[in-house]
Amino acid sequence: MGIYEISLATLVGINIILALGLNMISGFCGQISLGHAAFYGIGAYTAAFMAKAGAPFPAAVLAGMVLAGLVGLAVGLTSLRVRHDFLAITTMGVGFLFLGVVRQQEILGGELGVSGIPSPGLEKTGYMVLVLILAAFFTAFSLWIKRSWMGFAFEAVADDEDTARVLTVDVAACKLTAFAMGTAMAGVAGGLYASFARFIMPDDFGFITSITVLSMVAVGGIGSVFGVIISTVILTLMPEFFRFISDYKLLLYGALLFGVMRFAPEGLAGFTRAVRKAGIRSAGKKEAAG
Amino acid sequence: MLFFELFVQGLIHGSMYAMIAVGLTLVYGLLRILHVAHAGLFALGGYLGLLITNATGSLALAMITSALIVGLGGMLVYRLCYQPILDRPPYVPLIASIGVFIAMEEVFRLVFGPYGLTYNHPHLQSQVTLLGLNLRGAEIGMVITAMVLLGGLSYLAQNTRIGIAWRATVDDPEIAESFGIDAVKVRYLNFFIGSGLAAVGGIFISLLSNLVEPTMGGVPAYKALAIIVLGGLGNVKGTLVASLALGVVEAFGTIYIGSYLDRDAIAFAFLIAVLMIRPQGLFTGR
Amino acid sequence: MKPLLEVKNVTVRFGGVLALDDVSLEVRPGEFLSMIGPNGAGKTTLMRVVTGTVKPVSARIRLDGRDITMLPTHQRARLGLALTHQIVRPFRSMTLLDNVTLAAGHHRIGRVIRALTAVDRSAEREQARKYLELVGIAEAAEKSVLGRPLGVVKRLEVARALALEPKVLLLDEPLAGLNTAEAARLADTVAEINRGGLTVVMIEHNLGEVLRVSRRLAVLDNGRKIADGDPGAVMRDPAVRAAYLGKEYQDAAA
Ligand SMILES: Nc1ncnc2c1ncn2[C@@H]1O[C@H](COP(=O)(O)OP(=O)(O)OP(=O)(O)O)[C@@H](O)[C@H]1O
Ligand SMILES: [Mg+2]
Repeated sequence: MGIYEISLATLVGINIILALGLNMISGFCGQISLGHAAFYGIGAYTAAFMAKAGAPFPAAVLAGMVLAGLVGLAVGLTSLRVRHDFLAITTMGVGFLFLGVVRQQEILGGELGVSGIPSPGLEKTGYMVLVLILAAFFTAFSLWIKRSWMGFAFEAVADDEDTARVLTVDVAACKLTAFAMGTAMAGVAGGLYASFARFIMPDDFGFITSITVLSMVAVGGIGSVFGVIISTVILTLMPEFFRFISDYKLLLYGALLFGVMRFAPEGLAGFTRAVRKAGIRSAGKKEAAG
Repeated sequence: MLFFELFVQGLIHGSMYAMIAVGLTLVYGLLRILHVAHAGLFALGGYLGLLITNATGSLALAMITSALIVGLGGMLVYRLCYQPILDRPPYVPLIASIGVFIAMEEVFRLVFGPYGLTYNHPHLQSQVTLLGLNLRGAEIGMVITAMVLLGGLSYLAQNTRIGIAWRATVDDPEIAESFGIDAVKVRYLNFFIGSGLAAVGGIFISLLSNLVEPTMGGVPAYKALAIIVLGGLGNVKGTLVASLALGVVEAFGTIYIGSYLDRDAIAFAFLIAVLMIRPQGLFTGR
Repeated sequence: MKPLLEVKNVTVRFGGVLALDDVSLEVRPGEFLSMIGPNGAGKTTLMRVVTGTVKPVSARIRLDGRDITMLPTHQRARLGLALTHQIVRPFRSMTLLDNVTLAAGHHRIGRVIRALTAVDRSAEREQARKYLELVGIAEAAEKSVLGRPLGVVKRLEVARALALEPKVLLLDEPLAGLNTAEAARLADTVAEINRGGLTVVMIEHNLGEVLRVSRRLAVLDNGRKIADGDPGAVMRDPAVRAAYLGKEYQDAAA
């Protein structure tokens, strides 16, 4: 593996953690967020400053995770007040608010961002392995949550929160838990990104990033852990594959988002489900014939 | 004096927001879709307006032609993007719309280049002194145009057959259809008018900054989304009030708290603050 | 005997409409109370005030001696109130079995940490299947809710409510949308559960079944309670005939 492949793999791992975090909020619990990048940013900035202040790498990432989760909890409170499209726009607002604050504060580096973030003390390969291990851990964590009773309650909230309440589900607790867990994961991803890039700026965590993460979740099939992972890998690598047409890569990206929503709105997960069903049906037919 | 000047600046920006946001709220009222691609149509209006003005020297011709073309473009967006996925959960059209918007921005960049275009008629940037304030001709023109167009629209909605049909459809599509109103026609009309308005708004903002660039739709579009939520999604009057209110809040905010938050952040801080107190927006929907 | 569910002075306004006007109702343990009344009388609204999904102008609600007026819906449900919806509200993304399993796991989702650490659903699934059998739709257990006929989804609502193991079962027109045989069977099932000790309040338009299974009858009309007592006596009450049956008698005569 060359340096280039190693850094791509690291980026894929970071994006998987980021996307699985959003999948927790929007996929499992049904709360659409258009501001996920803000928590990614909170994690990155926190870790960056901690590391620059001399904190060891794990402590820096942990601090990013905790702070992102706490702010996420606060933003989760808004989801108790506003629903659906109102929530989508509110979270979009949170994203812009984050950018506005960071850009305007000289202490936070302003427009220029933060540079000179210390290295995590690992070789590039070692760091990639660490990131991939964490990605695997959060994959397992997501799968566990999905199977847990909490995940079951999330599903009910995503489907119809009023009915969930009548069935004893504490909707507020579910939403707050989902927000806290999902945004903390974004914080981890941000911390890992800061130490990986060693230079961050506000635009890394802007609206486009939020949309990119949302599309990783939606293209993968909202709520499906493996779908989200596959689409994250594809969408992270796609610009690289298409470098020979780099001028068109964003155009292609937009078209892909539209195309998937238009023709396969359940994403990759829905697609494989449909294929599997068709497979079972044709197998059934064969048996019946035989 | 500063107070008055800020207030006027706020209203000027507010009337620009209104021209974009009305189209968005019309779409939301009818289809429950957050129509992000509206911003692409807004930018398209800016490009067409500038190109036609530079070619013919007539701003009026540019406005009318680009409003018509962008209006038709809006109908096309409805037909191709939204109509097939109307019955899906709301995030589906939302993401599709974002995809279309990104693609449109890219097309502008590829066709017109990544750098901005400017007007080649300096007189369009002339200044006037009014009520003791130095205002640009374009600013006054924008406020007047917004008032005329939005006033005319509300007159049509109240007093014409098609306007009444439209309001009935927004109120209750099923009942409207049972009265023989063709909901599909109403939707096309909706997209035509909303997109045409956005085009005019796009031309004015390009006049104000003397710049048309691929990403010009972005920030106004996100703010317009904030505005329609503030106004109580789907509520046209609420949207107008919210547009002006946001313009004024921004004008004052940039002066007084601009060192903590930038202009966009002020707008969204205002949005979040209002929603926490009134989760349904300033006015109740529909 | 002390009432199990005590509903006092409920007044509800929707904009200009006075949907309920100072209605009170007491349900004693083990009762089978049916509530009838013309369309728009306010029956559903009363139930929704009890479960806490409609905000009343005034009301006082006690369950098993405890004042629950200020509690949110999910806590009332945890204390033992289960409601079926007149207009069905199944979780459409789930199978029938999962709909009921979630309800059967009500004791599992109360604490966040416990809910996060527990994954085993087999016991609840078992129970859920039992409830589906009880209401007679077990053969569709693994199917998605989408595409099930109304009669099946109506009974799913009942199974889900039963799975909550409530103290009071509130049924809002459970028989509507079922054919005659299905309706009779479900009414029998509910009556049998009631004989087992569960307190039942049932809103229902199907008078035949109401008179067959219930032991007490309350009548709402135009936001007011106009009668309450032994079904036979209530049906003979002239006020009830005028308000409720008058229309049907006229229809029958026509
Ligand atoms: N959410 C609401 N908003 C406004 N009005 C409502 C609402 N819910 C009920 N109403 C009105 O309150 C009154 C009582 O309605 P409710 O649904 O309780 O009647 P009901 O007795 O259950 O009737 P039905 O037998 O048709 O189910 C009606 O006039 C109804 O239109
Ligand atoms: Mg009812």
